[in-house]
Amino acid sequence: MAITLLFAVSALTFGAMNVLGDPLFNILGPIARDTSNPKSVKLIEKAKHDYNLDKPLPVRYGLWVTGFVRGDMGVQFSTDGQPPVTELLKERIPRTVTLLLLGQLIAVLVSIPWALISASRADKLVDRISTATTFMLVALPGFALAIILKYLFAIRLGWFPLTYRALDPFKTRLFQMLLPSIVIGLPAAAIYQRLLRTDLITTLQEDFILMARSKGVSKSRILFRHALRSSMFSFITVVGLTTGALIGGSIVVETVFRIPGIGSTLVEAVLRHDFPVVLAIVMIVATTFVLINLLIDVFYSIIDPRVSR
Amino acid sequence: MTTEAIAAPEVAAPPAPGEAAVKKTLGLAFWICIGWLVLMVLVAVLAPHLPIPDPKANFTKPGQAGPSHAPSAAHWFGTDKDARDVFSRTVYGARVSLTVGFIAIAFGMLVGGTLGILAGFFRGWCDRIFSFMFLVLLSFPSLVLAIMLTALLDRKLLTISMILGVLAVAPVGRLARATTMQYADREFVMAARSLGAKNTRLIIRELLPNVAIPMSALALLGMAVAIVAEGGLAFLGLSVEHSITWGGMIQLGSDSSRTLQHQPWIAFFPIGVLFLTVFALNFAGDRVRTYFDVKEISL
Repeated sequence: MAITLLFAVSALTFGAMNVLGDPLFNILGPIARDTSNPKSVKLIEKAKHDYNLDKPLPVRYGLWVTGFVRGDMGVQFSTDGQPPVTELLKERIPRTVTLLLLGQLIAVLVSIPWALISASRADKLVDRISTATTFMLVALPGFALAIILKYLFAIRLGWFPLTYRALDPFKTRLFQMLLPSIVIGLPAAAIYQRLLRTDLITTLQEDFILMARSKGVSKSRILFRHALRSSMFSFITVVGLTTGALIGGSIVVETVFRIPGIGSTLVEAVLRHDFPVVLAIVMIVATTFVLINLLIDVFYSIIDPRVSR
Repeated sequence: MTTEAIAAPEVAAPPAPGEAAVKKTLGLAFWICIGWLVLMVLVAVLAPHLPIPDPKANFTKPGQAGPSHAPSAAHWFGTDKDARDVFSRTVYGARVSLTVGFIAIAFGMLVGGTLGILAGFFRGWCDRIFSFMFLVLLSFPSLVLAIMLTALLDRKLLTISMILGVLAVAPVGRLARATTMQYADREFVMAARSLGAKNTRLIIRELLPNVAIPMSALALLGMAVAIVAEGGLAFLGLSVEHSITWGGMIQLGSDSSRTLQHQPWIAFFPIGVLFLTVFALNFAGDRVRTYFDVKEISL
């Protein structure tokens, strides 16, 4: 299933790029249109040969897929094809991954205690305020949150650096990632909190909780040991599924904080019409996304045997 | 296979205590949100006739150091780096955002709804093909898909709206499919069928009205998603060309830290209006959803 899906996704992406886009024009620029001049005709022929554009579409797709699977994602159209796409992305992917992992970590660390506090005081003032807060966080677009936090904490208060510098030592760079990760993590935390809170409130009304309480188990032990454990299921699912949305969010955050990750690279490549780069990034992201979904399924059937039919 | 297992916990969650009490009234806050949205629509439609400064005019004052002035009585939201009035640009920005949001969700409803109902009604290969299509569309994070499509197509208002509409097809289609399946075996449909009703009539007269309710509840939420997505694209410089957009204004006000530090109003007023609009759509959509008791959150 996942393989079929990936095949469809890649064929569709590749096809769209080659049919809707004009690769030749993007490689050569205006020369590609100038077919009357023998000099440019020669250039066109050469480019067609170099980039396999003289072969039929399915063959090109085959060549590209085998290359992609082997880790060769072709050459960039612009900037003389240097460095190759694989090299470029090898440098940039770790930054985005760090950003996403840090963001998820913050989201999980924030949302669990937040949900526990909210659920144990359901419909009290604290809970109402926190529900309103999650609503606002969800309604605030990522780039708006990025700018607000950048303005408050980096510009006004000066607690965090303004941008990311690739040449700084590792620890400094990690610190430079902190504010961007918070921007990614907060809305995710709001989503997790909402889900976990509803889930916890339902669980807390179950008989086994009443049983535990009547045995004299302390309130915090009930929350952590009994209620939280049974909610972990749906929680992990949502954390996995949200990763896709976070990849989208990281595009914007990387742009605001000038982090050269794959998100900002994607935007630059789109603006330059550099299709091999766009194609590679879209495929990597889609593959990751599909694999995460697959992993969640597998994880599910391991934990809950009822799922594997 | 992939999806059913995942959707299960969300669907199963019953409403929390407290939500039941407010269930059957929409509440004052809902009407405040609707009021704000109506105001936005009116302002967007009437923008050229309102007594506000020209959004493209340059308001440099003699003796002023920079082109950008802080908010004042003449320029309520201040002026930007090209000395243009931020307030009237925000008003004009509403036109693009609301148009894109509306067309996108209408397109998503039309295409996604049709495909979803057909899949849910006929099942079999029809269902398999359409469900697979939805799955393929959902394999891309939405912003990534939108960026990819803008790279390939032009950046006219209609194209951008359609691109964002494509993003709505899969979630809407899934909801329509699930709801149709839920109703397709009910007694009233069977009764109509046994009276000799054709498939077309069954779909249009019996199923569509029932599927339309949960779908319309998602319309407001979907519009919010589309407006945020448009804002994101505009912020990245990939939305409608040559027109005033909120995302574009926010980008202009925040592209350098210096601007953000010294002229925060350029970015923050559009952010505020965008936030209020999206919040209003989300809140109203959520209320409508609980009002009609639509359980599945798929947008």
